[in-house]
Amino acid sequence: MNNLQTGNAPSLSVVVPHFIFSALSFLCLTVFIILAGTDVLGPYFSGKLVAITHLAVLGWASMLAFGALYQLIPVVFETALYSELLAKITFWIFAVAILLLVYSFWTSSYGTTLIYASSLMFIAVSGFIGNVLFSKRMGKQNIQSRYVVTAILWLLLAALLGLLIAINFKYPFLSQIHLHYLKIHAHLGLVGWFVTLIVGVSSSLIPMFLISHNLKEDKLNYAYYLINGGLLLLSLDWLVLQGTVLVPVYWMSISLGIILYLVFVWEVYQKRLRKELDVGMKHTLISVLSMLLPILLSLTVMLKLDFQNSFHLRATTLYGFSIIFGLITPIILGQTYKTLPFIIWLHKYKQLVGKYKTPLPKELYSEQLANLQFYSYNLAIIVLVTAIISDSIWMIRIGSYTLLVTAILYNLNVFKIIFHKVKTESNST
Amino acid sequence: MKTPDEIKEIESELEQILYGVMDPEIELNIVDLGLIYSLSYDGQSQVEVKMTFSTPACPLGDAILMNIRQSIANVYPEFEVDIEVVFEPIWNSEMISEKGRLLLGM
Repeated sequence: MNNLQTGNAPSLSVVVPHFIFSALSFLCLTVFIILAGTDVLGPYFSGKLVAITHLAVLGWASMLAFGALYQLIPVVFETALYSELLAKITFWIFAVAILLLVYSFWTSSYGTTLIYASSLMFIAVSGFIGNVLFSKRMGKQNIQSRYVVTAILWLLLAALLGLLIAINFKYPFLSQIHLHYLKIHAHLGLVGWFVTLIVGVSSSLIPMFLISHNLKEDKLNYAYYLINGGLLLLSLDWLVLQGTVLVPVYWMSISLGIILYLVFVWEVYQKRLRKELDVGMKHTLISVLSMLLPILLSLTVMLKLDFQNSFHLRATTLYGFSIIFGLITPIILGQTYKTLPFIIWLHKYKQLVGKYKTPLPKELYSEQLANLQFYSYNLAIIVLVTAIISDSIWMIRIGSYTLLVTAILYNLNVFKIIFHKVKTESNST
Repeated sequence: MKTPDEIKEIESELEQILYGVMDPEIELNIVDLGLIYSLSYDGQSQVEVKMTFSTPACPLGDAILMNIRQSIANVYPEFEVDIEVVFEPIWNSEMISEKGRLLLGM
């Protein structure tokens, strides 16, 4: 059984709490958007919007990314997770940090609590990174593992800068205004952590789920250097030189890298053996395609193509929105159905297969709810994007409530999967 | 010790059993998927299966192996099943049978 890595999956108690926290965060997130009301159309750095953003990127997206990565380490690195205990400790520190951070921003308390929250966040991120890096040391080196490791290093930098900004609120020591560092912090997190991670992991998972072979990885290699090189130079330029005329060059580098990745996914799609797309893959491919939106919006923001000032402000809000709700959220909504049912199915049925007729992993959730979730989500995003562009508060309300429906449907399915009761031929009828 | 004809017959039955073992993700049986490279029975109680997975780190690999052993044990409880998982040659979509392609809607 040479190179067989199938027994490396982590325990259920490591992975599942991440999925639960993440699903509940998504639900809270949609409620917070409703509660924020007109603030959603206000400046992107307002307390409530920053609280919503952090709940989205940390509670919803990063929490799930941590859990999914623990599960995917055997797939990407072909080795077991370094320490399950460290993963469990990291989960609790991370969860407390998220709650404190969101509370601080929502109540605009930029004092000691924010420093504690950011410190815990930095500790949690360090714990997670240590676990992944030690796992990688034992595992396989490939382009996907390079993406994953680089992504988590960006996350560490984002968390570090976040901590420095938090300290600076109470004990000012930074030379520039907060918004200057906030811009760098946001890009380290959104582009460095999420885009790099999504490109790396999806370039392994999408061919696997669509059954595509004979793929050339040269585009992924070029994309790696273009995205990460561009972001590194952009961050240094902003940090040290406060933004020079070279910023558009870095933008082009990152954009070209993303486009190369999109071409790679297009090739995967063309060569796929599985023609029919399930709801998980539909969400995923929409997410991948949505990468074009932030590229166009960032160009608008960078070149200040503002016909009016308010449009520029809205374009900035839309830019962040397009990354969080265009790219990150649909891929999570989709990949949940490609990972969680299998995790639970393996746990419940591994010892029963062959002895009884067992259900398929996809039968652990309601496909009808998943389809409704898919349509309600796309409707919510179209309405919310239109609302931000047209500055319409009543459309924000409609979009927010539709997003709440999506979150409820998603949660129903997630908990249906997690609390699935074993069904075999003998007791299912 | 079985005769060569009996061995062939049992091997054929074993193959039929493997047609009932599904890859839970791809939703196709492992024979039509092309995961089984060879299957042999020694005429006494030893069955040897040489197979692969669609990816070396297949997260469902353990469940598939368990399913093979159990499905054979259901019919031949006295048999010992030795499964060797190999990645040479590496699995590719060309290995899927015609029937498998139809079932996958290819």
